[in-house]
Amino acid sequence: MGRNRNPSKQMRALLGVLSAHRLQWRHGYELMKETGLSSGTLYPLLMRMTDQGLVESEWHAPAQPGRPARHAYRLTAAGFALALEQPNEQAALPPGGSLA
Amino acid sequence: MKTLLSRAVMAFALCCLGESRGEWAAAMRAEFETAVEEGKPLGFATGCLVAAWRELVTRDEGRFALTSYALALGLMLPMAALQIGCALLGLPYLFPDQQGLSGAMLEGGAYENLLRGVYQAAIPSLALLQLLIGLGHLRIAWAMLERDWDAVTRLATLTLAASATLVLFMTVLFLNGIQALLQGGVLAIELATLVMVAQWHAQLPAGRSEPAS
Repeated sequence: MGRNRNPSKQMRALLGVLSAHRLQWRHGYELMKETGLSSGTLYPLLMRMTDQGLVESEWHAPAQPGRPARHAYRLTAAGFALALEQPNEQAALPPGGSLA
Repeated sequence: MKTLLSRAVMAFALCCLGESRGEWAAAMRAEFETAVEEGKPLGFATGCLVAAWRELVTRDEGRFALTSYALALGLMLPMAALQIGCALLGLPYLFPDQQGLSGAMLEGGAYENLLRGVYQAAIPSLALLQLLIGLGHLRIAWAMLERDWDAVTRLATLTLAASATLVLFMTVLFLNGIQALLQGGVLAIELATLVMVAQWHAQLPAGRSEPAS
């Protein structure tokens, strides 16, 4: 998979938010609110980053009965490494952030 | 009302995403429920539609779907309409003397008495053949959009044979077959394009795994 070495502003924002809590799974709507990206920008970005092996996803059981399962996302080791390469986002990383 | 409209936009967006992005469509649908709760369903659904359209133009499968629809709507359906129109309405340019079916039947022509019987017997059959060619175009377009290449091949062969028969009989009857010949030429171009579209489909990951039914 190809790696995007010159991420767009939107991708840097997403990398920043996802890398702030590296191991935590995040839902799409939550990411929209935290990054300020619209669904029309966020989802193509998530698709591309997943194709490139930067983001991994899994289905989570619904919190309430009758609701659909939700797709959740987090950075892979490669995605986290890319986040570390971004000067602006690196400062935002938590002290305990790791490639594990 | 706003939620209903949002659900319609969302449904359209999910359709546009296609099978290869089915998991992402399910993900968007699940988040849409959260957007409804947050009171922003329309913005979310519109964004998903934009995302689906972006996927259409950036992925091979999407470009293939767009090309198929463009071919069907831009070439095959107009050709079908033209040919069905020629058959049912006797559009003037298909038959001699620019007078449609009645012109072909030589009503009022100088040689009417000599050939009237022959033409009257033949022209309705030719018009029926023309109608079948038009309907064949419609069915080919439908089969192409369903990616049923076996049906496309079968129908294309029949339509081509019908076109050749039409031109042949118009020539035998000394009718002006130039327009029919031109339409046969367009049909040949259509079929050559269909071959390329079928080859393109075979190269897509979904096309390789999905047998033509």
